[in-house]
Amino acid sequence: MRSALSVILSSPVPDNKMSHPDYEQTAHDHATILILLKPLGAQIKQKTVTRICERIIKCGSRFSVIDSSNNTREILTRFIKDHPVENNDWGDFQTHRRLLGLITFGKYENQIELNELCRLHETLKVKYVQTLYDSRAILFGPIPSENLNEPPPSFTTPHNFKTVGIFYADDLCPNLEIQMSQCFNSLFWILESKRLERSREKIDKVALLQAPFEKKDFIGLDLESRNNRERCVGRATKHLGDLCLQAGLPGDALNNYNSAIGTLQSVNDWLWLGSAYEGLCAVSALILYPNMCRNVPLQRNSSLQEGSPGKQRRGSQPTTTLCAPPTIETIKMNMPNILLPEDICKKYREAIVHYTKYQNAGIIETEASFKATRISIEQNCTLQAASFLSNVLFNNMTMNEQEKIDRFTTLSDLYTSFGYLRKASFCLRHAALRHVSQYNPNLDWQQCYNLLLQATSGFKLSLDPVEMSFDNRKGWPSIQIQLINELVAAANRMGHPALATRHLTFLLQTMYNYLTPTERKDAALQLQAVSQQSEGSPVPLVLDSGRVIPPANLTNIPRTKSFALKNLQPHLQPQKIERVKEDHGPFLFTPINFGSLERKTTAKGKVDYLWVDGDICEVSMQLVNPLPFELHVSNMRLLTSGVVFEPIPESITLPAESGTIAVTLAGTPREVGELEILGFSTHTLGVKSNCRLRHIESMPHPLYTVEIVPALPRINVETSLPRTASFSSGENIVTSASISLYGGESAECTITITNISQVPIEMIEISVQSTLDSLTESKVFKWSNENLLTQLPLQPQSSACITLYMYAAMEFVASQRHDITNAYQSQSNSLISHSGPSSLPSRLSTSSHHTKRYSELTSSFRSGTSSNSSNSLSSTRLSKLAVPIHASNIVEGQLKIKFSGSAGLASGYCRISSVFITIEMLRSVQFTNWDVLPAETPTQFYLVLDVINMTNHEMELHYTQNKCIYMEGRESCRIPIPVDRCPFNKLSTIDGAGNNEDLQKICSEHIASLADLKWQLVGTETTGKATLSGLALTQDMLDLVRMSPLQWEVTINDVVFKAQDEITCNLGECINVGVGVSNALESPLRNLILSINLYQDHHNGVNNYRLDTRVSIAGANKVILPTLQESGRAYHECRVVFLTAGQYKIDIQCSSRESILDSLTFCSELGNSGHTWRYIPPIEIKVEDC
Amino acid sequence: MAVCIAVIGKDNSPKYIKCTDEANALQFHYKIHTSIDIVEEKLNIGNKTAADVRELFLGMLYSTEEYKIFGYATNTKIKFIIVLQSSNATLRDNEVRMMFRKLHIAYANAVSDPFYIPGDQIQSKIFNSAVMDIMGLLVDEKKILK
Amino acid sequence: MKHQFSDTKPNLNIKTEADECLFEYLHGEMVNYIVGKSLEDTNDIEEDLSRLEWMGFSVGYRIIERLTREWPRFKDELDIIKFICTDFWTSLYHKQIDNLRTNHHGVYVLHDNEFCLLAKIGKSGSKQYLRESPRLLAFTCGLLRGSLANLGIVCTVKAEVSALPSCKFNVEVQRI
Repeated sequence: MRSALSVILSSPVPDNKMSHPDYEQTAHDHATILILLKPLGAQIKQKTVTRICERIIKCGSRFSVIDSSNNTREILTRFIKDHPVENNDWGDFQTHRRLLGLITFGKYENQIELNELCRLHETLKVKYVQTLYDSRAILFGPIPSENLNEPPPSFTTPHNFKTVGIFYADDLCPNLEIQMSQCFNSLFWILESKRLERSREKIDKVALLQAPFEKKDFIGLDLESRNNRERCVGRATKHLGDLCLQAGLPGDALNNYNSAIGTLQSVNDWLWLGSAYEGLCAVSALILYPNMCRNVPLQRNSSLQEGSPGKQRRGSQPTTTLCAPPTIETIKMNMPNILLPEDICKKYREAIVHYTKYQNAGIIETEASFKATRISIEQNCTLQAASFLSNVLFNNMTMNEQEKIDRFTTLSDLYTSFGYLRKASFCLRHAALRHVSQYNPNLDWQQCYNLLLQATSGFKLSLDPVEMSFDNRKGWPSIQIQLINELVAAANRMGHPALATRHLTFLLQTMYNYLTPTERKDAALQLQAVSQQSEGSPVPLVLDSGRVIPPANLTNIPRTKSFALKNLQPHLQPQKIERVKEDHGPFLFTPINFGSLERKTTAKGKVDYLWVDGDICEVSMQLVNPLPFELHVSNMRLLTSGVVFEPIPESITLPAESGTIAVTLAGTPREVGELEILGFSTHTLGVKSNCRLRHIESMPHPLYTVEIVPALPRINVETSLPRTASFSSGENIVTSASISLYGGESAECTITITNISQVPIEMIEISVQSTLDSLTESKVFKWSNENLLTQLPLQPQSSACITLYMYAAMEFVASQRHDITNAYQSQSNSLISHSGPSSLPSRLSTSSHHTKRYSELTSSFRSGTSSNSSNSLSSTRLSKLAVPIHASNIVEGQLKIKFSGSAGLASGYCRISSVFITIEMLRSVQFTNWDVLPAETPTQFYLVLDVINMTNHEMELHYTQNKCIYMEGRESCRIPIPVDRCPFNKLSTIDGAGNNEDLQKICSEHIASLADLKWQLVGTETTGKATLSGLALTQDMLDLVRMSPLQWEVTINDVVFKAQDEITCNLGECINVGVGVSNALESPLRNLILSINLYQDHHNGVNNYRLDTRVSIAGANKVILPTLQESGRAYHECRVVFLTAGQYKIDIQCSSRESILDSLTFCSELGNSGHTWRYIPPIEIKVEDC
Repeated sequence: MAVCIAVIGKDNSPKYIKCTDEANALQFHYKIHTSIDIVEEKLNIGNKTAADVRELFLGMLYSTEEYKIFGYATNTKIKFIIVLQSSNATLRDNEVRMMFRKLHIAYANAVSDPFYIPGDQIQSKIFNSAVMDIMGLLVDEKKILK
Repeated sequence: MKHQFSDTKPNLNIKTEADECLFEYLHGEMVNYIVGKSLEDTNDIEEDLSRLEWMGFSVGYRIIERLTREWPRFKDELDIIKFICTDFWTSLYHKQIDNLRTNHHGVYVLHDNEFCLLAKIGKSGSKQYLRESPRLLAFTCGLLRGSLANLGIVCTVKAEVSALPSCKFNVEVQRI
């Protein structure tokens, strides 16, 4: 757009002051009468002035006049508040620049003040005397005057006051509009007369009109040349056009401009040609866009710069009248010279090109550009508007900084008006920097700051860090960074360190990823320095302008890697005290409700554990220092909402560019209810920040919710035993105790519970948890609950003791169940075996072995009662015994102390502390083998045990009241223990469905209850008791163990036979064997077969029953007893004659022949059919050869 | 020749900027940033006749005394900006078009890179060298090597 | 699918058979892989087709940059859809969309009477694989959605097969 040949006619150095640029001018202003509104003196109130001005503008902006030829003229006025008198100098060039009217306002109380007001008014008149047509002075006095234009009584105006005064006593100002229209009319008519005067001038006599700077250029030119005459005429015509336009004659104006253009073009008078074009454009715009006026002329609305988002097009802004713009066609008919809309801007462009040729016409050019811009905006040609505006920037006039600022702010306004927010902000930023440029004599950092702040929006920079988060950030980072840096600098220089701190914080927070490492470091150090003057804190800053700068928090420094709530330590976790379950119906929970509820809460970050009122709770975090220097973070606290929470401040120093560093933030809830953990606060680099989780990147939850339950006591637990070196992990274990016990040994442990909280303990429950079965458990651990309860309630700082009794319950019996079950099976079908395997020590296979082994086993007794010499067979047998050696057996148990008190107890919570108890159970004695043998008396039997001392110590084993043996470590020996047989009343508990197992159990328990073995390790205090529980007994053993249901009474030759009696008879002698059987049961026995058999024991495991050639029996050796009543007795007798000499044995037995299921419970218990009771031991008869 | 070439994303944030004069890079950032206003206006179809908007090349956006700023917008609303020195009067419109064409090809290739995530900053070396080539920087290096 | 990786315009005359069907094989394998994987995870087939759709979206988003490079700026939405039906479809599937319908309120239905990815699975009207065939369209749905997204049209795309090998794509533009 710029002409290549610039600065051709004008002198290089302008010597006269140029007119002040009026960037607010519009094309319509060419047609206006310029009137100055000026308050005088200090008395008048601003409010009054504003109100009066409004009224004047309303009535005067546009008015109609009937001219001398009865045509209606539409006259426009422009009211201004200030008018540099220099601007009048351009009045010849463009007449609308002349000030034609003056209206002043003043308030007086007395004559002196009135005189002063009059003087001021007259001074103003003198100032603008060259152009002023008429003036009015509106004067507010203490009293009203009768005639508005006369001073009130007792007041007079000075004699040199030659102005029409309007005197009011109050603000109501009646008839102001009439008075004003008189004034406006007067102005019009004077203007009209001037116009007429001009139009009647002789065309060849007109003087040369000049723009202010031209005066010098024409010195020495031939004024009378034809060229110059043409120039005079052209300029005069153009001038007349201006007057016509002002006087409401656009048609005439058009014609004049047109002819002026022709004339001026021919003489290359570029400057005036430009103004003629401009005039043409002004008329056309006035006609085409009658409503395009400024809306409120006097109040320059700077808030436009704030820039509302989006495109904001300034359309027609109607003021007083609203008439639809006439169509171009009709106008074109009336005024053929009018420009078409698209031509207006073209002509403006031409005018501007012409103006550019004159360096001193810079202001005119700039103003023309602005006017053209406004027209373009009206036409919605924003690209064109932009190009006009960019032309303004081309024009590098010498301007002072203030003028530059005005120019930039106007540019910004206009850019904003058609939505070029980036350009607008660009200009605004330039304006801001002009305020503080080195050429500006009045540095104004405040203004600079304000404008920079306004510029932020165009750079898509929101000062709220939340809006600038990583996800929704917009705009151009490098530019935004510069702008923030400039804001920081401006804030610093204007002495507002709080703002500087805030902006620097913002920079580090939002632009961190776009800063280079050096820039980050610099910014951080700068922040540290600035914040020493004003500490940053997370509160909004309100500026004087009312603008709010939102808080900025540093969540990046240090960066949070993770944030996790910690559950209380297991022993401090509150547990729900289990109550009797209420009936919730058949379903444990309704999946639909709970499912949805759960999903909702997890999304909210609800943790599934509880915190306790008054107890310290912790959150563990991982922090990273991204900066290359040591970072000190102090006063870190948890941010919470909900119940009262007392955070514990934490300080940490993070080394430069640290890796992740763990920090734990703690605090104490002080209320019961729901606590929300929102984040944490920090104080670093001199800035206090609230780092809320929802503003921190990559945090899974925006907040965490924890339930706080009422206060619960805490305890300290100590035991009298040494601690375990290590123990397997278990819940809520607070201490441990360990002890070694030999099997059967007992020990005590004192457990001291101290209440270390401020809350009394009102409830303690103790239980033991171990892997043992409950029966063994109850044997191993014992304590007295009653004793404990008497010590409650436990006040703070007081202690309670309980004694835990521990007993090493062990299996003393080597487990050989496998053998036994086999034995059972083999026994059932071979009750009487003629050929038991002798090589295998299957001691339970046949009944015949019993007696044999009896002698064998007894031979190895070391105890004093039996002193038979041992034989080799038994010793080998013993050495072969498989001894299951368990070196030790560790029993681990947890003593759970469930306790509660005060409010926590009331709401059903308790705590559980556990003591981890390790008992190392060492083997003391073990019974590897056992058997039962008949004793000398039928009420007893012998329990024969193979015992091993499993310890390495010498042991003293007491196995009856007064018998004991000493055993070396790891030595084994065999002992007989006399035991009472199991009485029937014990067995009677077995019901009808009972089987062998029950019988087995009862019998073995019976043995265990009677046979007590006490051991003592020689030389130590260690004593213990070995129990015999768990002995497996075979059927034969059982028969021995329990009382026989049949009482035998055997007579030989009518002499009652006693065990161990030796019977000797001679060959051929007849022996009378009488057998009496009585039923000891409380029920009858049926179908018994009593049989008397003779046999020879070959002592090699073979019994020979085939004695037909050796023995002759007279009488039945088998009788059937159909019933044997309870306590009844049966007797049978037979005679025996031995035919050969030798050792004979008589086996007397009684067997039930068939199952007697229906008869009695006892019988069914006695088991399978064919059960046999023997008379033991068998009777031995020695037959001697006589 | 071109003194600055920029790729601007759909969201009007810079995706790539290369300046010959890195020291004054920020100055070009401003120029390019403000030119987005005009690009947006030109792309705003509402008030234009169909003919002049269908071309991807947007012509000169604005000029300053030193520079001329040209724009180009792809169908996918990616904008390319080339800043030329005003003194370089010999450069014709067609040559500028050619530069944009090359730039667009380079961009389309860069987007096809499976390691490039659409919307991110362009860091492809191939794209960079293509831009250098357009700016005439690469040619010089080659010459020096010869 | 022919990618144009050189700077020169593609020479449409030079194509070999393998060139044409390579994409079809690859696509088939992609579908099998995705469906197989979804069965492994015991999820719904529906859910895991979204992966396939996402692949298509990603490809579409990238390829549209290339395909519209020499294309004048689009006048409006319909202009874009027309481009999709003609040049876009031709570049990818060697034929144009056979029928385009619209309600002029953001719903476009694109009919392809012989969609190449369906052409190999049976004679016309065959019902053998009718139930399974939609999985062969998921990628293309994504392709459409991705392409349109990059052109500034946010939409949902649904595909329908009623009689092999024809299908229709339902493009529903989401107005904000």
